[in-house]
Amino acid sequence: MKRLYIAAALLILLLGTSLANGMYAQSITGRMREQLHQAQAQAEQDSWDRAEALTRQAYEDWQSRHFYFHTTMRHSDTDQVLRGFRSVLEYIRLQEPDQYNAANADLIAQLELLAEMEQPSAANVL
Amino acid sequence: MFTGLLRTIILYILIIAGVRLMGKRQVGELEPSELVLSLIIADLASVPMQDYGIPLLTGVVPILTLLSVTMILSVLTMKSITFRAILCGRPSMVVRNGVLDQKEMAKTRLTVDELLEELRIKGYTDLSQIKYAILETNGQLSVLPYANQKPPAARDMKVSVEEGGLPWVVVSDGKLLERNLKALGHDRPWLDKQLSQRGCRDMAEVFLLLVDEGDAVYFARKDA
Repeated sequence: MKRLYIAAALLILLLGTSLANGMYAQSITGRMREQLHQAQAQAEQDSWDRAEALTRQAYEDWQSRHFYFHTTMRHSDTDQVLRGFRSVLEYIRLQEPDQYNAANADLIAQLELLAEMEQPSAANVL
Repeated sequence: MFTGLLRTIILYILIIAGVRLMGKRQVGELEPSELVLSLIIADLASVPMQDYGIPLLTGVVPILTLLSVTMILSVLTMKSITFRAILCGRPSMVVRNGVLDQKEMAKTRLTVDELLEELRIKGYTDLSQIKYAILETNGQLSVLPYANQKPPAARDMKVSVEEGGLPWVVVSDGKLLERNLKALGHDRPWLDKQLSQRGCRDMAEVFLLLVDEGDAVYFARKDA
């Protein structure tokens, strides 16, 4: 019976951790997406400095959780997000509204997909 | 992570069902759940081992999940006869009183050629010698011949034989296994005496020395 309890406890722990991971991924990428949306609104009002500060804040947030993202998600996906942040920051520096808008929308979508992949949904499982 | 966990459980159950449907002949010496576990774990472990672009956790989580599910299944198998029958199947009697049970053979998809081959491997060429042949859940065929076809045992012949007991390795390739010597209730002087009786002065000259519970000694000297 001891073996059964240990196995059941391990399974519950794995289940709990994976659900918590899904919520955590959703929460941090959600915050980053919010910052990127705000940055886009600032850029549309020609406030590029404010847009850069908000984007950089999201980028630093991403970088500070590099270990977490790298250990739980596919490296190709996390690398793509990193490339997205670099492109967006570069377009802000160049003050290219069209290219910035496209790159920012792409980055927001990538962050959304990254978190979506970790959600406990039937679509993901199947 | 959650997706990986749930997918692992679904695929594990699916593959077990598949192996069960494949029948006992395909299983070999492992039970279906053990076979599935060994098939999947090897593959799961090798993917993150080769592909550095995949986090180690994507291999670790499914492996831990599989081990937990297997552990739960094995405990349930021990506790419940019904569950054991579902997971491992039941033994099938393919020969009964020397007569082939064709229905059972069809159910287990065992051909006559395969049955005869298995019987020949076990030393039986005549079906009429066999009282029962049972295809076990692990895919092995157990053969029980008629009583008059069994080789006589010492008891049948009313002969008394001495019980030798299990032989223990005391010296292996010149090295003394002190624990085994002690377990047999002997000490070093006893061993030295045994060696000198066999013209051996140094333990390094011994290749193998076995002693059974009746103190019978098997001695093999190392080749020069």
